[in-house]
Amino acid sequence: MTRHTRLVMSMIYWAFVLYIFVPLILMITMGFKDSKFIGFPIRSWTLDWYVEVFKDSEVLSAFGYSMLIGVSSTLISLVVGIWIAVLLNGRGFIGKGLIYGLTLLPALIPGIISAISFRIYAQLWGIPPGTGAIIWCHAVHNVPFVMLIVAARLSTLPKSHLDAAQDLGADPIIAFLRVTLPYLRPALIGGGIFCMLISFDDFVRSFFLGGYQPTLPVLIFAKLRSGMSPEINAIATVVLVLTGLLGIWAERTTRRMKQGKLQS
Amino acid sequence: MTDSQENGAGEIVRLEAINKRFGDTEALKSLTMTIREGEFVTFLGPSGCGKSTTLRILGGFETPTSGRVIVNGEDVTRLPPNRRKVNMVFQDYALFPHMTVRRNISFGLELKGLSKRDIAQRCNELMEFLELSVLADRLPDQLSGGQRQRVALARALAPDPALLLLDEPLGALDAKLRGQVQAELKSIQRRTSKTFFFVTHDQDEALTMSDRIVVMNHGVVEQDGTPEELYFHPTSRFVAEFVGETNLIEGRVDAVSGSDVTLDWKGLKLAGRPPVSGGLQPGKQVAASIRLEGMKLSLDKPEDQPNAVAVRIAGRTFKGSRTELDLRAENAPDFAMRAYVDTSLANGLGEAPVWASWSQEAMAVLRD
Repeated sequence: MTRHTRLVMSMIYWAFVLYIFVPLILMITMGFKDSKFIGFPIRSWTLDWYVEVFKDSEVLSAFGYSMLIGVSSTLISLVVGIWIAVLLNGRGFIGKGLIYGLTLLPALIPGIISAISFRIYAQLWGIPPGTGAIIWCHAVHNVPFVMLIVAARLSTLPKSHLDAAQDLGADPIIAFLRVTLPYLRPALIGGGIFCMLISFDDFVRSFFLGGYQPTLPVLIFAKLRSGMSPEINAIATVVLVLTGLLGIWAERTTRRMKQGKLQS
Repeated sequence: MTDSQENGAGEIVRLEAINKRFGDTEALKSLTMTIREGEFVTFLGPSGCGKSTTLRILGGFETPTSGRVIVNGEDVTRLPPNRRKVNMVFQDYALFPHMTVRRNISFGLELKGLSKRDIAQRCNELMEFLELSVLADRLPDQLSGGQRQRVALARALAPDPALLLLDEPLGALDAKLRGQVQAELKSIQRRTSKTFFFVTHDQDEALTMSDRIVVMNHGVVEQDGTPEELYFHPTSRFVAEFVGETNLIEGRVDAVSGSDVTLDWKGLKLAGRPPVSGGLQPGKQVAASIRLEGMKLSLDKPEDQPNAVAVRIAGRTFKGSRTELDLRAENAPDFAMRAYVDTSLANGLGEAPVWASWSQEAMAVLRD
């Protein structure tokens, strides 16, 4: 590669970075503007909007609600996802491919379609819209991600480890709990945080299946309809920082675990 | 459940007519054998000979198609591995990567439901015995190959098994370390007086460590005996060629009487020893094995040896203190033989024909 092409390529890269980050930077900047109207010029700065956010009980309860849904749906999808990954990791059996395909399906269906079909399905069974319905829908959507991440890790577990556990007196359940599960830890942490972020970010499913209580994205949407205000920028910035930190932490931890002390 | 048949003296394992099929292939054909307490038994053979299948059947990881496995007088044929008093050292050691050395060793003890104190005590004993004490809190990937191998051994010995299975555990070590570990393993076996069942394809390893070697081929036992018996008195062509290096000559049985066989080889009469299994008739075409170092070379025809052949030296391979000679018999120039002699002697031999001779004891006539 000549110096010239390298220069051009890095310039294209930085242009792309700029394209991604400028909107974010604008959004963050506006959150500090001491005026009700979003836009330039900015004459004075303030932290009032942040104070507002942390005083706004609506925002706080929506945040808590989103966390509740995120954690619950993640736990469910972890259990189901591990279950399917372990099942598919075993010997070939009739219908293996079918189970694999069906597990992946929820990740491929457009959000709006799955949301509507879940709504209809829930109505059919008399399941009221609200917390349970949202958790259920998020969990189904997240299972394929957990399954893929866990299956990738599971495929690297040497079969001799399970043989050794059994040889030393462990029945299959103890072998799973004491050997397989610890081995899967990086995948579980990574997959779990990934699920949390997807669930936290979801608008369409929460909107269609929600009851009276809004999740954070649904609340932001409602607030937007009554007019754009820098408070929304402040909320978005807080969410951005939190999810960003969580994502970076998860990435670092799982990477270290995989190449570091957990590698056999 | 005790077996109706009485146990032989010190017998710890008995395999009765074990057959194992995988689809169309017969991995084991009617394998019957016993292992005595405190023995170091090696199953030796090429890959696919059935040695690993035997090991996995003893461990409980495979169920024989037919036949019985008796351990300590108890029929364990259908018992799963976690309920057998048999432990295994795996080929890749299979140490649990998230557990320290100490936790790995105590794993089997915890599952036996021993008290914390007993576990710690047994663990400490073993770590001291195998010189692992300073490594107690390390994780497996912080250990060298030899150290991992000792941890695997300690972990398998911890539950005090009746039989210890070793699945080619030296394969992953480099050649230099391997020799050292072989000696170590043998000494550990002597000091613990445990019964070791070792599986390998490496005949050197088998000869070095075993009290007894069982040579397997195509799912059947070719020969079962001490390393010396196998080396000096192989009964089949397979054993003669697989264990050590040898010269095979093909001849016709001329006469058999007791422990003497006379062979007719290209017009020469040669004296050898019959196989223990017997079954030689005059007129039968057979092969005989003469080890490389059993062949003596001299300038003059030796008067005291029953077997002497005039040969030419066709090639030399220098191997330090000894030299391998490539020989061609005068009466059969196409037939290559090899001898392994002192280098000083080899240097004294010129291009002129010399005499290769060997004793009756050195020539084992094979059953097939």
